[in-house]
Amino acid sequence: MVVAMTGYTQEKAGFALYTDRDVYVSGETLFTKIYTPEGNPARIVYLDLVNQYGVRVTGVSLEIKSNQANGFIQLPDSLGSGNYLARAYLKNTSGKLKVLREIWISNRFDGREKTSEMKRISGLEKIQEQRTGKIEFENIEANYQSNSNIAATIRIDETLLSEIDGNLLVSVAQTEPSFDAASFIWSYNQGKEGITENKGIILSGTVTDRKTLEPAAGITIYLTIPDSVPGFQYYQTRKDGRFYFLLEDYFGAVQAVVQCFGNTPVQRLKITMDEMFAEVGTLPEYRQQPISEEFKRNISRNIDALTFRKIFGQDKLEVEQVAIKQKEISPYYGNPTRTVDPQLFIDLPDFTEISRELLPGVKWRNYNNEPTLQVINNNMHNYFADNPLILIDGIPIRDLNVIKDMGTADIDRVEICQYERYYGDLRFPGVVAIYTTKADYSSLPTSDQLIRMDLETIQLQVASAEHVVQEQTIPDLRQLIYWNPLAEPKSAIFIKCNTSAIAGQFKLIVRGRLKNGTLIFAEKQFEVK
Amino acid sequence: MNIRIILLFILFHAAGFAITVFAQEPLNPNWDAEKIKGTRYIPYPIYDGFPFLNDSWLPGKIEFASGEIADSLYLRYSSFKDEVVYYNEAITTQIVIDKASLNGFSFTEKDGRTRVFRKQYFDGFMKGDRYFEVLSDGETDLLAYRKVILITISPYKDQNNILKNLAYDPNYQYYFYSPAMEYASVRMNLGALLSKFDKVSQKSIKKLLRKNRIKITDEFSFVYSWKLIEKEGFKVAF
Repeated sequence: MVVAMTGYTQEKAGFALYTDRDVYVSGETLFTKIYTPEGNPARIVYLDLVNQYGVRVTGVSLEIKSNQANGFIQLPDSLGSGNYLARAYLKNTSGKLKVLREIWISNRFDGREKTSEMKRISGLEKIQEQRTGKIEFENIEANYQSNSNIAATIRIDETLLSEIDGNLLVSVAQTEPSFDAASFIWSYNQGKEGITENKGIILSGTVTDRKTLEPAAGITIYLTIPDSVPGFQYYQTRKDGRFYFLLEDYFGAVQAVVQCFGNTPVQRLKITMDEMFAEVGTLPEYRQQPISEEFKRNISRNIDALTFRKIFGQDKLEVEQVAIKQKEISPYYGNPTRTVDPQLFIDLPDFTEISRELLPGVKWRNYNNEPTLQVINNNMHNYFADNPLILIDGIPIRDLNVIKDMGTADIDRVEICQYERYYGDLRFPGVVAIYTTKADYSSLPTSDQLIRMDLETIQLQVASAEHVVQEQTIPDLRQLIYWNPLAEPKSAIFIKCNTSAIAGQFKLIVRGRLKNGTLIFAEKQFEVK
Repeated sequence: MNIRIILLFILFHAAGFAITVFAQEPLNPNWDAEKIKGTRYIPYPIYDGFPFLNDSWLPGKIEFASGEIADSLYLRYSSFKDEVVYYNEAITTQIVIDKASLNGFSFTEKDGRTRVFRKQYFDGFMKGDRYFEVLSDGETDLLAYRKVILITISPYKDQNNILKNLAYDPNYQYYFYSPAMEYASVRMNLGALLSKFDKVSQKSIKKLLRKNRIKITDEFSFVYSWKLIEKEGFKVAF
């Protein structure tokens, strides 16, 4: 019990979620920095946005490096005005622990005067931060003119430097005094823990037998990620019909196909994918609070500012290039014995003609509308008795009717492997890989046994683009003027940025975490006139 | 008695709590491990001699190009084709592992000796990736390319009374290798070893070998000599 409780306390200590601001307008970008609990081996932290009715609006998965992560959420344009919760959690502890941060989002198109009340979280344990006097600010004035330079220095005491864990978050952004947001620890017990994602994102799901509605065990399920060299994984379901796939080195948007085939020709199966994000579960308690006139005015001002920024394209993000580990150098199905490009030959109307005229060593028969395909085994000088692995754009298929009508115009190239190939425990008696001209997987029939997914894998690192003055007449309307979630702790940190045309209260904030898990901050407020 | 009951109660709940905290869903063993890619091993023609380095399956491990390691495999190195074959127990098949997917492999001999092979690009005659056995690993490595070739010999009759005139013949090649200077071929004798050093060093090396009473007669004594020479700080003149 002591071990378990100590572990849980350690999980809570130092888990924090920060956003660049507290008040947003739909369509804006929310920048975030997360400190994850030390000792948790997870590589992925999830950040999502939940509205006050418990609906998850959007979310991202961020890579943890040195117990910290940073990223962004693009707030959808269609969000209604109101309170939202930014939630951060690790999958292996998501059933027990999440960090919440209250934010306000106004709808860009109708969020101005309609709202008169807001819901605020009550009765939750606030994450305690310690204001430190060991961080001092130099060369920060109390007042700045709009569009002027800020060149400040952050001095950190040597005794504090040795205690700081990881990087610091340094930001300069407009503040909203009437909306004092806070972060909360949301701990409860939802039972079973998730899998530790120590290598990458894990996709999971269940296969059930459609006839018996029971979990289907011993079913081989495939995951294909189509690419120039397709990625491929397989999993044999256990008694409970569950399967898992690891997405280790994928970044950004990825298309994936999950499919399975019955152990007998008549067996019909159904794949149900698990939700990538944790369930919303119960929400914290809220209390109603009136919205001040000042807050309403500020909302209107923010909406105008964003509208201008959108018009003049000032909301750009710079994507950092990620050094992506080379996943595959040759396809999992092996190097082809021969590659045929049907476009180099006369037009042929269907696959029967193509196989007959252009694909030596491939035996295609279509008796009584029941097509069969065999590939020659070069080593043994005879045809494989079994069907080869047939791929369309890298995705395995078994129904040969899908390809029988493919003619020259539909096929970009055909790769044929005329030998017995192995991938783990899977055996492929020859391979016929057809790459289509459209390469849009439209020829693949979706069913309960084949699911196509657009996945958002690990988010690519981004930075808010520096403001470049294009025309003097176009105002700079940024509310976030500096954001560095990975500031190296050193005795003097220099900051250079420009104030925008937005007037109001701004804050330079430095946040960090000490090795003992204590969250610290120091801030300096100034006014832009 | 009361204390015992309380202690038992605490222990019971502690166990339950700990299980709840650490419980995770069951997964297939090695479910997230990189899968071995390869082709079926087709037996080589039978001639005199032996095409493999080891005559039985030996426990070993492979290192994938990604750096991931798969162990508890049964391996055999084919000196004839320069390829590593593993036995897949689940599907009872001998599989030739794709050379492109590996960085190297190692296996443990019956006498407990571990032999390490590393895939390296060879830029000399017959360019391409080769598995070199690492005899000595340092600033300059001593590598062995355990090649077996087919040679023509006097006609003979095999076990099935078929007349043949080919035999597998070991044709091992040895190299000093450093990433900067690449390969320098060397034979397993004293003269060849000394020729890899400058004139000044040669005298000192001879003295060193004499002092340690080493006579280079085979691969073992050559490797031992080289390790001693390297330890003394002599550099190979490539």
